[in-house]
Amino acid sequence: MSAPPLLEVDHLVMNYVTEKGDVSAVEDVSFTLHQGEALGLVGESGCGKTSIAMSLLRLQAENAVFKSGEIRLNGENLLALPEDEMRRHRWKDIAMVFQGAMNAWNPVYRVGDQIREALDLHFRPRLSDAEATERISRLFEMVGLNPAMANRYPHEFSGGMRQRAVIAMALSCDPSIIIADEPTTALDVIVQDQILQELKKIQRELGMAIIYISHDIAVIAEVTDTIGIMYAGKLVELGPTVEVFARPKHPYAYLLLSSTPSVTGPRRKLAPLEGEPPNLLNPPTGCRFHPRCPFATERCSIEEPPMETIADGHRVACWNWREVPVSIAQEARP
Amino acid sequence: MTRYVVRRLAQMVLLFVVFLTVTWFLLYALPGDIVKQKFAMNPNIPPEARQVAIERLGLDKPVLIQFRDYMINFFQLDFGLSFNQYPRKVSDIIAERLPRTIVLFLTALVSYYYAGFLAGKYLAWRRGKRGEMAVTIGGVGLYTVFYPWFALMAIWLFAAELGWLPISKFLNPDEWRNAPFTANQVFIRLFVTVLAVSIFMALVVLLANRIRDHRPRALAKVGGVALGALLFVWYWWGTAGGALMRPYAGDIAEHLILPVAVLTAVNFAGIMLLTRSSMLETMREDFILTARAKGLSERAVRDKHAARTALLPVTTSLVLAVATVIDGGILTETVFSWPGMGEVLVTSVSNEDIPLALASFSFIGVMALVGHFLVDILYGVLDPRIRVGG
Repeated sequence: MSAPPLLEVDHLVMNYVTEKGDVSAVEDVSFTLHQGEALGLVGESGCGKTSIAMSLLRLQAENAVFKSGEIRLNGENLLALPEDEMRRHRWKDIAMVFQGAMNAWNPVYRVGDQIREALDLHFRPRLSDAEATERISRLFEMVGLNPAMANRYPHEFSGGMRQRAVIAMALSCDPSIIIADEPTTALDVIVQDQILQELKKIQRELGMAIIYISHDIAVIAEVTDTIGIMYAGKLVELGPTVEVFARPKHPYAYLLLSSTPSVTGPRRKLAPLEGEPPNLLNPPTGCRFHPRCPFATERCSIEEPPMETIADGHRVACWNWREVPVSIAQEARP
Repeated sequence: MTRYVVRRLAQMVLLFVVFLTVTWFLLYALPGDIVKQKFAMNPNIPPEARQVAIERLGLDKPVLIQFRDYMINFFQLDFGLSFNQYPRKVSDIIAERLPRTIVLFLTALVSYYYAGFLAGKYLAWRRGKRGEMAVTIGGVGLYTVFYPWFALMAIWLFAAELGWLPISKFLNPDEWRNAPFTANQVFIRLFVTVLAVSIFMALVVLLANRIRDHRPRALAKVGGVALGALLFVWYWWGTAGGALMRPYAGDIAEHLILPVAVLTAVNFAGIMLLTRSSMLETMREDFILTARAKGLSERAVRDKHAARTALLPVTTSLVLAVATVIDGGILTETVFSWPGMGEVLVTSVSNEDIPLALASFSFIGVMALVGHFLVDILYGVLDPRIRVGG
């Protein structure tokens, strides 16, 4: 990975301004994404995954404020771009597979026309009717849909087909990065798996980078090279997926994995993760996880742990990562 | 689709027969002896003619026979004779009133719906900005104002004080003294030409929307609208028939301005608020986010995705409002001395002119049914989710 990264998120801090005060939604998050890499971001609802995804496209909510940090695409800071230049990057460079594809389609236009809309915006010179139809047919074939379906309306698609079509639309302008935000959450397990395999295959074929966002660890495990674990707006652990799954270093990652059943691994009791994530209007001092952390010491409630590199490409934000057991918990609590 | 249309049409006919039956019996049940009052003791009719009129109108027959005869005649488009303007035919009275009512209220309807939709669209998009507050307060203020007072103030200001517009009536009698046309002929010609031009413009704009490049698309739209306007000008200025009628049409058009403006000012806020809430709901949808993520400009997101989808409830209310074009509005007609269908309705009911009232009501009924039918068809065009198969 000596090539310069495609995307760098550099100490990003984003707050939501509300009447009750600022909500610290993304706190000092840094990661990089290289060409062809599959990165996963996992965490509970409200931990800031989707906020990061939206920030990458600069489609954050209106009350969001970037306090500091940069998002660099090929070295260019997206946060500093004027809106009309940012628009040219959307979909052309960073496309998105949305959460809950049911509503990602405008019900009153044909699916093919909605894809065509993106093509018309980003292809110069503009594609002719024949070229566009040809391209949309190819995209549909790629995601396993009958090209004739392009002339249909979204409500005529099943949930899985709609999600496939969403992927086709995301691929339409050859983006270098695709963000898949809960790409399969609304689907049944069998369709989920098909879609994930499809997405993985396409990503390998086309060599694009992809960021998966999910609360479902199993989904992430299956398709990513690198995994980032988020808690309460912070990235607490980032490392190669295999490594993090086998030997999680952050207590939160450790407990999260302990609370997830493994089909192939040894039989063990599941350890539930107790407590609730903190209110981000008023996050805990020090490490944000310390109130729920069984490994917490006095230092954790006072000083915020920095991201520490513990192995090549494996970073953890914890004072006591050495205390965390080497393998996943066998019993309910350590 | 054809099957659906046929079925709906059959339903409409059935529903209309029920409607007419109910209306007929309700009016028959009006208290007071209408026969005695209108004919047997009417001093305006010579005594020897009274019995003849009663027999000729069939008023001496049993009620069910009267009802049967009425229905048979109605569907042969014979609506009978007016009681109060005996022996004038009901169809003549309606033919006289209907064109002026349609021209006034249809113009107003189109005008306030257009204004309301545009205002609502911008309002939703600029939510929370200062302009929103001003337009909302202004619009709702006008919406809630006591309408006859507002209309009178407008007449006082623009007609009496400033003298820009005629005070009332739908034409200036002095100019019409030796007119080679009746007002109705002019009304109808005016209506037909405006309608033809509007349809032409709408078609051009719809076709132009298929052009993918922004610049030629805008050019085609502007060109089409200009061409439509040019055709209109050509007809009224360039052709012999149009030029001859033009001064009279101009007179009517001048009389239209104030009532249309007043109706627009008072009514647009309702449509504006409807559009606004519909837009706000649409703007929360995921597909708006998709549209933005694709890199569409804010304007394209607003017009192509948000407003297009938000149009659906507005269309429903528009077509249902079409019925008001027929029944007019007694307040407007009274204030502006614009004798139309509203006045016919009110006086025919209060004076127990049963045939006239029945015919007027049935026109409104037909219009409401047709409006409803059009809503269903239009909705299918606008919203593919409820498009019908078969």
